[in-house]
Amino acid sequence: MFSRFGEASRDFALLDEFRRRLDRVWEDMDPSWPASSSNARAHSSSAWPRVNVYDGGSNLVVKADVPGLSEKDVHVTLNESGLAISGQRKVAPPEGYSAHRQERSSFSFSRSLTLPCKVNPEQTQASVKNGVLTVTLAKAPEAQPRQIAVQAH
Amino acid sequence: MANQTDLVNRSNGRMEAVQQREAIAPAVDVYENADELLLLVDVPGATNDGMEVQLDKGQLTILAKRREDAPGSLLAAEYRACDCLRVFSVPQGIDPAKIDAQLSGGVLLLRLPKSDSVKPRRIEVKQG
Repeated sequence: MFSRFGEASRDFALLDEFRRRLDRVWEDMDPSWPASSSNARAHSSSAWPRVNVYDGGSNLVVKADVPGLSEKDVHVTLNESGLAISGQRKVAPPEGYSAHRQERSSFSFSRSLTLPCKVNPEQTQASVKNGVLTVTLAKAPEAQPRQIAVQAH
Repeated sequence: MANQTDLVNRSNGRMEAVQQREAIAPAVDVYENADELLLLVDVPGATNDGMEVQLDKGQLTILAKRREDAPGSLLAAEYRACDCLRVFSVPQGIDPAKIDAQLSGGVLLLRLPKSDSVKPRRIEVKQG
């Protein structure tokens, strides 16, 4: 989805994507898939945080839901191969309370995405607001959309 | 069709498709101490305006409405920004007037103080 595949590997990329989607269907249906605790299900390091990628014309925007995380808890790294989001979510039960229900859990996470085009690393911005991480990546000049004037003969 | 305005008798018997907002169940922690119940709810992307917390007939409804703010066309989607909805039955002895809700960093913190009548009370034992 995020990767650019050559012609030769495009079929495999399709298969890979299909497998990934199927995995997600299973995850959603059966909490014990893959054999792991129910807490790890929504938060398995491979699937958390879930990410949306937008194309804003001159930039790319990556958004991810990271409730309860502050800017200090999230590390965003940009390198040749793409964008990496990692960090740790700490949920400390308040002192002096007994727990009835604990669905929010502490875990560490890391994800990496291959970006669909070249970006300008200098102009990358990341922020966390209302529990949503937003990474804005400016497209490299060669990847910017260019208006071609249509001329009459 | 003869009568398009007929609301009651539909010739084809098909139900009208009604678009309903999707809602997911957010993760919730529930804690209790002698004074209060404490709820922590993950509601990423929610703002104060979009939060609806309601206690009605012993049912606590937490609804976080979320607006999709797409900064461009979607290239890859793993989630949809949809509403979070969770309903709990609240035990007796919660003081509805004193419920307090705070939203910070995509986490809603709800305090439900117990009314004085149900708080544990230590009875002083006097010398007889």
